[in-house]
Formats: sequence, C-alpha cells, structure tokens
Amino acid sequence: MLFSSYIFLFMFLPAALLIYYLTPARGRNLTLTGLSYFFYGWANPYFTLLLFGSTTVTYYCALTIARRPGDSATEELPLRDEDAPAPLRQKAAFWLSIAANLSLLGFFKYFNFGLENMNALLVALGLEHLQLEGLFRIALPLGISFYVFKTVSYTIDVWQGSVRATRNFVDFACYVSMFPQLIAGPIVRYREVAAQLVSRLHNAEKFARGTSFMCLGLAKKVLLADPCGKVADTCFNAATLGALDAWYGLFAYTMQIYFDFSGYSDMAIGVCLMFGFVISKNFDSPYHADSFADFWRRWHISLSTWLRDYLFTPLNYMLLTDRVRERMVREKFRYNYPAIASSVVVFTICGIWHGAGWTFAAWGAMHGILLGLEQLRTKKSAYWKWPKLVRVCCTFIPVSLAWVFFRATDLGAAFGYFASMFAVGNKTAGTGLVAGIIYQPYYLSSVAVAALLVWSAPQTWDFTRALTWRKAICCYCLLLVAVATLVTKAHSPFIYAAF
Amino acid sequence: MDTMTTLNGIFCEVFDEDSIQITRETTADDVDGWDSLSHTNLIVAVEMAFNVRFNLKDTRTLKDVGELIDLIDRKLAEKA
Repeated sequence: MLFSSYIFLFMFLPAALLIYYLTPARGRNLTLTGLSYFFYGWANPYFTLLLFGSTTVTYYCALTIARRPGDSATEELPLRDEDAPAPLRQKAAFWLSIAANLSLLGFFKYFNFGLENMNALLVALGLEHLQLEGLFRIALPLGISFYVFKTVSYTIDVWQGSVRATRNFVDFACYVSMFPQLIAGPIVRYREVAAQLVSRLHNAEKFARGTSFMCLGLAKKVLLADPCGKVADTCFNAATLGALDAWYGLFAYTMQIYFDFSGYSDMAIGVCLMFGFVISKNFDSPYHADSFADFWRRWHISLSTWLRDYLFTPLNYMLLTDRVRERMVREKFRYNYPAIASSVVVFTICGIWHGAGWTFAAWGAMHGILLGLEQLRTKKSAYWKWPKLVRVCCTFIPVSLAWVFFRATDLGAAFGYFASMFAVGNKTAGTGLVAGIIYQPYYLSSVAVAALLVWSAPQTWDFTRALTWRKAICCYCLLLVAVATLVTKAHSPFIYAAF
Repeated sequence: MDTMTTLNGIFCEVFDEDSIQITRETTADDVDGWDSLSHTNLIVAVEMAFNVRFNLKDTRTLKDVGELIDLIDRKLAEKA
C-alpha cells in the first residue's frame, strides 16, 4: 500500500486514525501494531511472518542480554554495563539476534544477486556445467532493509548499555512495525521513541502539523518528483541521447530522487505526528551542502547516522593500529588513513544496502572515494575561501554524476549514459523523439520549479512549525492539486520503497 | 599546564585553526571541521599528547569537551 495511493489516503489512513483514537490510551500501541501488520500484509500476508519473526527474536535476545540474575520480573531492566564481563548466554543472545536479522536481510535481499554472480563467475572460469539454473528466485519483502536496521540497532544499543531493553512486547512490536516508517524509513532508533511508546501527547497542534507535513510530502511526490521522473525515465531509457538532453535528464533525476524520498519522509514524519510520535528530520536541504561530508550530514540522516554509529566508528577504530597511529602523528595528521579507508568501505556497503546490484555498489564506492579524498583537503585549503555558491556547485555536480549509477539499470548503461553526457561518439539520431517529451512545457516547468524550491524554499520542517491559517490553506490547496493530479496521471511508486 | 590548556593546543593543531577556544561545554557542532571523520585525528593526537590509550567505547560515548577532559584525567589517574 503506497502512501500516494487512493487506498492509503482515502481508506486506510482515515480508518486507521479513527480506530486508533477510539481505542483507550493504554491499548493504542496494540492497535497501532495491528494496523501496521494489516498495512504490511496488504501486498503479501506471508511477509508479516518475517516481520514478526525478526521482532520476536530481537525482543527475546535483548531481554536475555539485559537481564541479570535476581532481577524482579516487573521492574524496569537496568542498562547493561558494557565493561562487565559478559556471561555466555548474553554473548550468545547478542550474536543470535545480529546473525538472525542480518541473515534474514542477506537471504531475502541478496540471494538472487549472489546466485547470478556465482553463475557468471562459473561461466568465466569455464565451469558452465556447475551453474545453478532454474533454482527458485526470492521476492524482496517490502521494507526489510529498514526494519532489519532498526532491530540490529536496538540489539547493539542494548548490548552497549545505551538503551534499556523493554519488557513490553507490544511496545517493541509497535516500534519495529510502525507503519508510517515501515516501508522506507526513517530508520528511527529505539531510544528516540522509547519514552513516547510509554506515553505520548496527542493534541490538535501536533495533528495539524502532521497533516501539513503529509500534504507537503504528497505534493512533493506527485507534483514534482513524478514529472521530473518522467523526464529522467525518458532520458535513461532512450537508445540514443544528445549531450544536452543527457545533462537535463540527470538534473531531472537529481530533483526526482530528492523530492521523491524527502516527500516520502515528510509523509512518514507527518503520519507519525498524527499518531502522536515525534521523530527527527531525515533531510536537511542536502543540495545546499558545500562538501561531501556536509552532504551526508543532510541526506537521509537516519541512514547516515546509523552507518556512522554501527559501522564507521567501529571499523575506524579497528583500523587504528599502533603503526597507523604513529604514522598519523609523524605526518602531522595530514593523512587520516583509517577515516579514508572506512569511508570507502562503509559507503560501498551503504550502496549495496540500497539494492543488490553493482550499480548501487559503484554509487556507494564513488561517494566513499569522494569523502576519502575530501579528507586530504585541509582547513586552510583555498577551497574554503571560494564563494559558497562555487563550493555548493563543486559538491552538487559530483553528487549528481553519482546518481547516474544509482539510476542506471546496469553498469554498462551507466557508462553509456556518461558517454552521452560527454558526447563521446556521435549519437544524435533519434533525439527528436526524446526531445518531444522532455521539453514539453509541463515537464520543463516542473523541473524548473523543483530546482527553484531546492535552493530557495524553506524546509517542510520550518514551514510547518507555528502553523498559521494561511499556511494551512496553502497545504490544503497543495493537497487538492496533488490529489487531482493523482486522478489524472498514472502514479509511480516511491523509489526508496524498492529498497 | 592543565588538561584544558593542552587540549586547546591540540584542537588548534588538529582542526588547523589557531583561534579555537574550547570550554567544557564545547561540542562537535561548535568546532568547524569536527566530524566523525576528523574525530580520528583528534583521538590520536590526544592519545599521543597525554600518553594514554582510548578504547572504542571511550571514543564512542563522548558528548562534549568536558567528557573528553574527564576521560583524559581518569586515564591519567589510572596510570599514576
């Protein structure tokens, strides 16, 4: 069930809100959990079993990690002391939870990819007869990358003693399954909502802000991301493409992915607010960034902070051997070797997390390399004296180029697209057909408005704060236009819902 | 020289800015260029200057300069 579908907007959401608010306060987490499982099971009921399995295993493992002999069964569990020696059952519970969740993700998301690559490798080695043909293919369960990251973060946090394991299964199931963030995040940490799961405030102000978040998110998706996406699809699917068209197509995709995903995140934050949950922002004007590190502080914040806390920091520390330490000091911290290496590794993993494909790995690796290279630039570098606009361009252009890998169907197509952009070879035939679509006034103006909003409009976050009647009417009008557009145009799914 | 003064010198060197004035309340948001990547440089510089060694947990849980100073002092006391 997509956020931008009629069934969600006009049936599921109103019914869910009605049922939720009719439920007495202490039963609301259970109601929300039930609604979330219904939402999740809509496409394929069997996938709810995976969600329930992951939730149950994580819940019990966390309890085992946090419990100490002699704890009463009703009191709040203490924070685990990370420095205390861990008994075997705690260690076993920790690794069981991590292994169970990661293998769930690994199997359902990467099985097909692994099989294809293994077969290709066997062919390359001349061992065709060993290929595994006709073996079953795995369907990717929606949102699995997102909820597995939630359960993994909870397990690690309990292990490290930064959150208390909850004894309340319903609260925990509600956290993992909460439908607004189930399909494509944000990857909310347990510690952010732990207190809210116990008690949260529901008031008209929160609800109104949530509604306006939702209206703006839907408008971003339907009125901007979809038409930009049409331009991008036309260009990326074209057999031949002129250089200008290729740049325009990439710019349109750069706008599409931002409005698609930030629109989705706005809707998720908005729907959470309607149910009383306050969660942090997932986007902070990423295309205003003036360095790659800055970009990743602003783009998909819930993922970048997850990667920082659970992958980057430990890996970075692992690489910090005595020899590396000495060398860093000797070279007066000119070369931050562990951070450079960790960036490349972590961002390649980040790429593969998005999708099982070499294009995503290339996209991630490109970001990792850019981040690593950026570490070589000192604070006194002339770069920082350039005007902000130039620095923003120097960040925006490579970030856009990296999106080619993200969008292209395979690496060959990505390099073909680069070839078109830089006019390698003479490929001008057939461009009239593409131009006939992408330069239509509707598409041109949509891309232009998207660009204008990216660099000059306030963030949804700020716009919806201190909501006035005028702002509310503006949101309502945008909702009407978005819904009218939904009726007349074929709607497309959210990009991140495929991850 | 007390911990704070030495640490201030390290901050100036690592973040390449002579005008940095840290206080116990200083956080990563207050120092230009202090992020999870450059944090490695800071940690190694502090370790070398005070001749102490941090573990992963030490580097992970620091919230502000005050906590870093307490950590350094604790490590120094353990050594003494």
